[in-house]
Amino acid sequence: MTPEVRFRDYMQAFNASDWKALRDYYAPDVRLVIGNGTELNGRDAILAFYGKVKRQTRRTIEVVQCFADGQTLAAEIESEFLAVEDVPDFAVRPMAKGDRYYLNSFVFYDFEGEHYTRIRAATFRREFRPAAAS
Amino acid sequence: MNGETAGLRRWFEDYLAAFNRADFPAFGAYYAPDIVFHGQAAQLIGRDAVLAFYHQVHSHLQERIELLSFVGAPDGSRIAAELHTTLLALRDWPDMPTGSMRAGDTRMRVSFAMYEIADGRFTRIRTARFSPLHGQAA
Repeated sequence: MTPEVRFRDYMQAFNASDWKALRDYYAPDVRLVIGNGTELNGRDAILAFYGKVKRQTRRTIEVVQCFADGQTLAAEIESEFLAVEDVPDFAVRPMAKGDRYYLNSFVFYDFEGEHYTRIRAATFRREFRPAAAS
Repeated sequence: MNGETAGLRRWFEDYLAAFNRADFPAFGAYYAPDIVFHGQAAQLIGRDAVLAFYHQVHSHLQERIELLSFVGAPDGSRIAAELHTTLLALRDWPDMPTGSMRAGDTRMRVSFAMYEIADGRFTRIRTARFSPLHGQAA
């Protein structure tokens, strides 16, 4: 399986909230730094973080492009968060139920074998789409 | 990096070297005539517009870019790069698009950049800030 195919499978598991499958993609000591500066160490911390986000919002990710070179995969992804409840402490900004938040991100995934060991994301474009406007 | 992308990396490193020595003809040759440029400080279309922008930048700043990570698409159509940029203000620039600088100020950031390539030239460049800006006043 190529790193690109594996990455798309990873994103599919993410969109399906398949936590058991997701766990297998991460090295035990994986490091994640996301666009807002949040840094998470270890797969348990990552899964706990995304579990909370998923309870508060419905997040869908679309892979715009991805390509691998050596032990790193680069990806451009589009994420949309739809708040399913009021989320005053959402990671990016406070959200009210029905609000949407769109992100276009560039992400580097370092990997060893079948595990991601380091993930770093930078936000290229962001857009807050309040429920009242939709 | 693998064998397929080693040449692409050398080509890209030559671009950065030309940029760092402010060799406008050399780094300008990497831009397609209708390049789309989404930088931190400007959104531009066309090689002439990009070069005019960098002429303005270089009249105020010394800009140096260091390649931290390189990911090339095996077909040569795209590059993703992690770049460390250092800016040194040569004179006061109160209207600097990403924040005013005074002569002697330095500013650093790490960005992720996506380059799309056709016929040996960049057709689109987009950058996203990874690290917060940090710097030092003169």
